[in-house]
Amino acid sequence: MTALELISLINQVLFIGLFVVVLWHALRRRTRASWNTALLLGGVAVAVALSRVAAWVGLDGAPAVTALTLILLSAVPFAMLRLVDDFSGSPRWVQIAGAVAFLALGMLTVAGMGEVTAPLAVATIGFFAAVGGYAAVVFALESRRAHGITRRRMTAVALGAAVFIAAIVGLFLGVLVEPLGPIVALIAQLLALVAVLAFFLGFAPPAWVRRAWREPDLRRFLERSVHLAGVADEHAAITELERAAAAAFGATGASIGLADADRRIIRYALPAGGWSEFADDVYIAGRAFTQQRRVVAHDAPEADPDHALAYEEAGARTVIGAPITTDDRRIGVLTVYAERAPIFVEDDLWLLELLASQTGLLLEARTLTAHASELRAREDATRLKEEFLSAAAHDLRTPLTVVLGQAELMERRAIRSPERPVDPAGLARIVREARRLRDLVAELLDAQRLEDGRAVLDRSAADVCEVVSAIRDRHAGNGVEISVRCPVEPLVSAIDRPRIEQVLDNLVENALKYGPAGGAPEVAVAHPDGYARISVVDHGVGIPEAERERIFERFYRASNAHDVTDTGLGLGLYICRRIVEEHDGRIRHDETPGGGSTFVIDLPLEPSVETAGEATPDPGLTLPHRISGERVADA
Amino acid sequence: MPDLRVLVVDDEVGIRATVSAMLEIEGYAVAEAANGADALAALENDPPDVILLDMRMPVLDGWAFAAEMRRRNHAIPIVVMTAARDAARWAGEVAATAFIAKPFGYDDLIAAVEQASLT
Repeated sequence: MTALELISLINQVLFIGLFVVVLWHALRRRTRASWNTALLLGGVAVAVALSRVAAWVGLDGAPAVTALTLILLSAVPFAMLRLVDDFSGSPRWVQIAGAVAFLALGMLTVAGMGEVTAPLAVATIGFFAAVGGYAAVVFALESRRAHGITRRRMTAVALGAAVFIAAIVGLFLGVLVEPLGPIVALIAQLLALVAVLAFFLGFAPPAWVRRAWREPDLRRFLERSVHLAGVADEHAAITELERAAAAAFGATGASIGLADADRRIIRYALPAGGWSEFADDVYIAGRAFTQQRRVVAHDAPEADPDHALAYEEAGARTVIGAPITTDDRRIGVLTVYAERAPIFVEDDLWLLELLASQTGLLLEARTLTAHASELRAREDATRLKEEFLSAAAHDLRTPLTVVLGQAELMERRAIRSPERPVDPAGLARIVREARRLRDLVAELLDAQRLEDGRAVLDRSAADVCEVVSAIRDRHAGNGVEISVRCPVEPLVSAIDRPRIEQVLDNLVENALKYGPAGGAPEVAVAHPDGYARISVVDHGVGIPEAERERIFERFYRASNAHDVTDTGLGLGLYICRRIVEEHDGRIRHDETPGGGSTFVIDLPLEPSVETAGEATPDPGLTLPHRISGERVADA
Repeated sequence: MPDLRVLVVDDEVGIRATVSAMLEIEGYAVAEAANGADALAALENDPPDVILLDMRMPVLDGWAFAAEMRRRNHAIPIVVMTAARDAARWAGEVAATAFIAKPFGYDDLIAAVEQASLT
């Protein structure tokens, strides 16, 4: 036996071996795709076996053997066309044309009694090449659409189909080109083996190949599912998990239904956002959930005709589903779907259950996390309330001490020496501290109202410049000159005017309190993108950089506030911030160049630049405002 | 209790004035300081017999003042006066003889100062 013959023999044994494996597989699964795979490999394997047997019994070259071999080999493209249909679907005429061509070739071969005439050779090569090319293109396209293991399977098949054409062309070349015959024929045989191997891997991948191909996606699923336990957005977590599950199967899609036992519904995350709810027994998913068992529907529209349209729209011809359960608690259901049944491989049901239980663990972890953070939030709220009360009590006690002490002093003096006049300084102290108490109480109530979100009530269109001018006029009445700079055109914002005036008064009073003695604060109005911007500028002590974020917190007082004069609760800027935020605006502190504080308030402009009240200017003077659609979240 | 000198340390001028007036009626000699640093200066010039000490003050707070005072080997009894909830704990922290929680009345103040002056 020559080396060539040995290689050829090994090759042929491999063909037959693969066929036996695939046939065994088909006998067990009994699906159309597995029969077609067996037919594909069987055509080659039986033809190979036949030629061997014929050689042993001395019948090689006999016309009947040649004819039978040709017919067996043309079963290969026929089977391939059927597989294209199984995995991707193909037009009916292609199927019919394939069957007709198969029959015609068979009849021609029988009629010619095994003599390979030139027209028959051309027709056979044409049939093989056309089908191989078609299959290669369809599977290549399919592989580009698919993910994960399915992409690898389709790629293997597409490569197999391309190599298959080369093998067939080689086989015929080997017959036609005499001197190179044996070597070309051997190369063709090897190519055919590669093609058949590729088909085998693509159409009926053995377990170890499935595991290897699925491993990266499965690993990703498990990794993601651990991370997703901490993702706050439930919708985002579920849709990402669905994507990961679909990838692990190489399927078109997956959906996770979350059960609400009390309402007897299952809800699903919609891709565009939001949720849709269904009774917990509808769809194939509902069956898996209510019956608490895994469900396989090879033809979903047929299995659940009421929702046939929904399955078709989702590209869910085949659906497999498993309940998600932990510790006997029914959490939901996981379904995975594909356009074609053969996309799913043998152990996908086992994988489905694995992913369902992993999903169950994740959902359970999320529930626990949610419970924990809810508890934490409640504790935080309670703690804040306690801190609020304690800080408020602290700040009320100081003026109360003075009022009480001075009153007792007066009482004692009155008893000891009734003839003496009342101490005017003590009286003044009582009045001042009582007023301070009144203001503190008002401030506290105000902060509480803002906390409850019921402080900013009536918003109506007003010109921000006009509001600023009103503040200036009011202070001018008290002998304080504030310089105001406003643009020519009105800047209209929907505001609760008394509240915005309160904010401006507060900032101006701060500027007076912390600014240099006799120095007047400056107020400037501008309009960056979509906002009316009011800046209140002083040249006073400023605020240490590290504290500029915190000054807007409740009860926070800058460390250098004491240096000047301090009677407040530390609520003023907090109240300002809340009011501005309720207007969808923002407030921040900047350092004034050369020292001091600049408070910047941005209030959203009205989308239509209308003017408020009677102050309607010539429209020609009104500059167009660029309205930004996006609101910047405050830092 | 004449001839006893009391130093009132508080950043609130209203509190200082009220406490001083009460103590003067009872015959104490009173000095005032607006924070811990001023109080340390007063300590050097004219050491008092009792110190009435607010805790939260700018520049130098009650804790820092008490520590510095002891470092300088003064053993003057301290009465903590504060509006905070933690008055008793803070009093312990600065080893005060007594504490009074704001708002305190005339009798509370005098009783605390008398108690401190006896130690």
